[in-house]
Amino acid sequence: METMTGTDFSEWLRGRSDERLRALVAARPELVTPVPAHIDGLAARACSPSAVGRALDRLDRFSLAVLETLVLRPGPTGRDTLLSLLGRALRGGPDDETLGPALDAALDLLTTRALIYGPQDALLPAPGVAEALEPPAALGPPATEVFRHHPPERLDVLLRDIDPAYEGGGGQADGGRPARERLAALLADPATVERLVGEVPPQARAALDELVWGPASGRLPNARREVDTASAQSPVEHLLARGLLGATGEETVMLPREVALVLRDGRVHRDLSPVSPALEGPVRDQELADRTAAGQAFTFVRMVEELCEVWGVDPPGVLRAGGLAVRDLKWTAQLLDLPEWAAGLVVEVAHAAGLVAAGEGEWLPTGGYDGWRIKATEDRWAVLADAWAAMDRAPGLIGERDDRDRPLNALQPELRRPGAAQTRARTLAVLESAPPGLAPTPESVLARLDWEQPRRRPALRDRLVRFALREAEHIGVTGLGVPSSHGRAVARGDGTAAGLLGPLLPEPVDHVLLQADLTAVAPGPLTTGLGRRLALMADVESKGAATVYRFSEQSIRRALDAGYSADDLLAVLERHSATPVPQPLNYLVTDVARRHGRIRVGTASAYIRCDDPALLDEVLADKRAHLLRLRRLAPTVLASKTSRAALVDSLRAMGYAPVAESLEGDMVVARADARRTEGQLAARVTANTAPDPEMVAAAVRAMRAGDARRQPVAAPEGDVPLSPSAVTIGALREAIRQGTRVWIGYRDSQGHATSRILEPARIEGGYLTAYDETRATVHRFVLSRITGIAEIDQ
Amino acid sequence: MSDGPLIVQSDKTLLLEVDHPRADECRKAIAPFAELERAPEHVHTYRVTPLALWNARAAGHDAEQVVDALIEFSRYPVPHALLVDVAETMARYGRLRLEKHPIHGLVLTTTDRAVLEEVLRSKKIQPLVGERYGADTVAVHPSERGNIKQTLLKLGWPAEDLAGYVDGEHHPIDLREDGWTLRPYQKEAADAFWHGGSGVVVLPCGAGKTIVGAAAMAHARATTLILVTNTVSAHQWKQELIRRTSLTEDEIGEYTGTKKEIRPVTIATYQVMTTRRQGTYRHLELFDARDWGLIVYDEVHLLPAPIFRMTADLQARRRLGLTATLVREDGREGDVFSLIGPKRYDAPWKEMESQGYIAPAECIEVRVTLGDDERLAYAMADSDERYRFCSTTPAKTRVTEALVRRHADEQVLVIGQYIDQLDELGEHLNAPVIKGDTKVKERERLFQAFRDKEIRVLVVSKVANFSIDLPEASVAIQVSGTFGSRQEEAQRLGRVLRPKADGGGARFYSVVSRDTVDQEFAAHRQRFLAEQGYAYHIIDADDVGEADPAR
Repeated sequence: METMTGTDFSEWLRGRSDERLRALVAARPELVTPVPAHIDGLAARACSPSAVGRALDRLDRFSLAVLETLVLRPGPTGRDTLLSLLGRALRGGPDDETLGPALDAALDLLTTRALIYGPQDALLPAPGVAEALEPPAALGPPATEVFRHHPPERLDVLLRDIDPAYEGGGGQADGGRPARERLAALLADPATVERLVGEVPPQARAALDELVWGPASGRLPNARREVDTASAQSPVEHLLARGLLGATGEETVMLPREVALVLRDGRVHRDLSPVSPALEGPVRDQELADRTAAGQAFTFVRMVEELCEVWGVDPPGVLRAGGLAVRDLKWTAQLLDLPEWAAGLVVEVAHAAGLVAAGEGEWLPTGGYDGWRIKATEDRWAVLADAWAAMDRAPGLIGERDDRDRPLNALQPELRRPGAAQTRARTLAVLESAPPGLAPTPESVLARLDWEQPRRRPALRDRLVRFALREAEHIGVTGLGVPSSHGRAVARGDGTAAGLLGPLLPEPVDHVLLQADLTAVAPGPLTTGLGRRLALMADVESKGAATVYRFSEQSIRRALDAGYSADDLLAVLERHSATPVPQPLNYLVTDVARRHGRIRVGTASAYIRCDDPALLDEVLADKRAHLLRLRRLAPTVLASKTSRAALVDSLRAMGYAPVAESLEGDMVVARADARRTEGQLAARVTANTAPDPEMVAAAVRAMRAGDARRQPVAAPEGDVPLSPSAVTIGALREAIRQGTRVWIGYRDSQGHATSRILEPARIEGGYLTAYDETRATVHRFVLSRITGIAEIDQ
Repeated sequence: MSDGPLIVQSDKTLLLEVDHPRADECRKAIAPFAELERAPEHVHTYRVTPLALWNARAAGHDAEQVVDALIEFSRYPVPHALLVDVAETMARYGRLRLEKHPIHGLVLTTTDRAVLEEVLRSKKIQPLVGERYGADTVAVHPSERGNIKQTLLKLGWPAEDLAGYVDGEHHPIDLREDGWTLRPYQKEAADAFWHGGSGVVVLPCGAGKTIVGAAAMAHARATTLILVTNTVSAHQWKQELIRRTSLTEDEIGEYTGTKKEIRPVTIATYQVMTTRRQGTYRHLELFDARDWGLIVYDEVHLLPAPIFRMTADLQARRRLGLTATLVREDGREGDVFSLIGPKRYDAPWKEMESQGYIAPAECIEVRVTLGDDERLAYAMADSDERYRFCSTTPAKTRVTEALVRRHADEQVLVIGQYIDQLDELGEHLNAPVIKGDTKVKERERLFQAFRDKEIRVLVVSKVANFSIDLPEASVAIQVSGTFGSRQEEAQRLGRVLRPKADGGGARFYSVVSRDTVDQEFAAHRQRFLAEQGYAYHIIDADDVGEADPAR
């Protein structure tokens, strides 16, 4: 293989149009974080192992095969050569008509991403690509590598056995060439390999066939045994004696790359397909699937709302390790009537959407929840679905144990999994591409992902994919396994999901059916206001698309406690009932109301008691008493919200002589309010978002500019005119604002007068930071040493 | 969005809007696989349970039909999880079958070897099975036929019992349709039972379950053992059988606390069968006293636990269960399924009502208010005295008088718990009182007089209404009496009350003291009766005098 110098590649890159550079940067955004100073910097970064690795990870199986085929070529290779090489590797035979277009597309892709370069008839892999691909196509190392550590005398024995023309010794072949190279050359010759393979017994051939398509190494005890063709006993010894296998360790043997390529019959790959495998699975009615998914979406939104409502009143604690206790998850699951994995998903999605967070040691709904709650159902769903799609956590693992056998709890930081978000996004993208009505099986989704990014297999990938599919169904992205129209919109991330979902959701209803067994049936989702009022005055008995409420003494009392009167309640019921209010319900409400509130309980911090009502009249009439917030409960009793001590003091100040009474009977009642946290929100993951075009364009412009700047700009002839420092600073500020270059006179630290061309960036604390074009570096200049400033021609 | 009458909830309840034009069609479609739980006026609640699904399978329905019915009638998308669950649950029935093998006798066979392997690993199954014949068949001890079905159901693999029945001792029984005919649904129910072999017929109160039993006996033409809840029903069964069939009084025996007759058709009470002396059931021999060809269980949902155990040994005999509801308060629906048999017939309730076969009674709760003195006394009463105190308030007597005046042309029963109160009522209403210590002769005389409409009002204690054949009335007024088993109460109510000759429904008044425990009991009753579809109203005592206080 020819070694490439970075310069060729660099020059090729510089010769690309801005548009192509923008395409490169858009496809490999990591190349411009941070933005390299110039094209050479870009080229260097594009060839770095990590950058090449990431670019390779994004390649599909076919493009990767094209690249591997090219890497295995000894020198620049034309498109047509690649076509014929790949044609042999095709599953459908060389006549597959999809190959040509697929190859052109792959070459275009690889060129765009700067993984290959050069003209169509002499393409080369970019520097660093071959190393990053090692070993390509599951091949073993080249013969020179395999036999590197063989002692010279062993090589002599080997070469004498297999090469009739060999003359030499001590590891040197004829002409002083190392024996190893001669061996490598022999093994690269198809005729020789075929002859050698013809000599070995059938079992040895079978052993060879095992290794041909990889992995190329095998285990063999005492691999470094000394054998020759005459003493070879076992099949493997026959191979070792002919150099068809080489020992690379005490117990490892390796099939040299050259041999494998010959045995692969000139192909690099087998069963290659130029197009991705089709998704498979049952086909259902897309409309039915959409409806089912919408039903599930509706349920999911309701679950999240219910979770937040309950947690707002009765929040579970945050574990010391930062999660939700197993017990609390169980409780939540029971509450939502869900299996635990699904409850875990609800909790995690609510968290990812910023609707719940840890605050004051408890899991509480956030202020954001209140905003979310009042949105339309479809918008609420879109928020949840987007949060789920971008979530870098694996809720499916809840309830399992980590490597150290500690339980994995919901909302725990350890649930983060690198690649979870990416895998979910990839899965969604595959679902998005499914034809209408198809419910892809998990196996076919996995096969597709394998083809699309064969090198990228994050830990747990298969499980993460299966989790994602299960979760998609539960959230309502798929229905009956078929990606729904709104689910596809989530995968595209184009913000159309809510609009597509809306018409599929059940219309909110504004009436209920009241029955004599004291139940109310809402035959669909209720309008928000009515739903809240009903939830206040009745207990929910059954949930789903419809809701069944049961009225009881307790529930009616709850509504009365919340400030409704019996007439209010009956009016609400009458207005929203499709049928007359059943008489027993009417009775229940009036009965409870009749007894409600006859005993009054209030809060007071202190009271004033006096046997003489006239004296209390006097106190109440006193203007200074207004601040005490006194209220007359009875002719001889005043209640106050002020504390006892303050009351005593104030009364004394007013000229009375009060005596404090014991605290007995004093009580403080506080209603448990639904609480909210301002605590930390879950970090929103923004991975996988393509860089926006303006950013890309700016990066390319910057590099081009950097390239131009690399040509040092000589200062103009002559001296810089002197200028007063106020003028100098004013001119510098103007230059910073406009981004223009200036010419300055500067006395360096030795006191020598110099002149520079600068692009000023910042003035701060007596210093100017600027790009010094004369010296092509960023430098800090002492303002007081700038002797003068002048504009230069742009 | 379709506009179906059904809403499928994620908790597996089905809400059916009864006023919907397609409600009837939908009801027919879902009845095979969903149990009616509540039937108030607008929305009926059905529940899809594993048992209900297996009942549907036993009746020959498959998962696809169930799913189709749900999707077709559902107004909103059906939760996917529910559909999956339906398919999985239904697929479990019939994988295992009990069969009679020509050589090996009773065997358990399977169409799914893995399932057989799974159940055979269970420690509970191992003692019930014998030798293994091949991969798919294992012997079952004939005496364990019931036990193995119960156990398999608990394991979630209900077995289909195809092992057949013994014919029993032949005895000629024919229906005697003179002046009456078998209603179509009664015939269908009896036929469905006979073709199914064993099982349960579900009919609402007052739909003539006894006649279905008689029709089943006419199919079997064999000696029959009938198990009923109490002596009252035993009498009623006997009277009905004499009236409706060719059986004579001599052929029908009563096996109760007082009589121990064993005849070709024997009627025994659950109570006597479950009587124990020194830890053993004394009357077990009744099951072996004759070679019964049919066993009828009345009110299956009240079947006591010991009877289940006895029934486990009777699996080779045909069994017919009769009930108004499969829901049991003790949750032993599974035992009914495995030991009596699957549901064989379920009546179109609404249709029967519209055709006038049944007329549910109208229930009216009359609230009386305690006076201030009474309230104070009530508040100070011991908790165990409170109920007696509030339920015997003199105000109730006044209201009862007013009610009796209102129904001046009808036969009225006044039912109460406390003797003092009843005596007082009898005095005020000028009506005879029947209590526990009333002589049998006197009792029978009074009942006959009531039936002959010589007496218009009868005051009876709760003891009385348990122990003897209470006559029918069109108005009942309950003044006191705690609420025992809710179903029992509803049943008694259905039995005492009959539709009036003019087609109007019967009336059931409960007189209740406001703001007391009396009212709490009433609330339970109200819920249950309303769920059963009875119209329920509450009126104030002051309104009783008005022409039609219920409106």
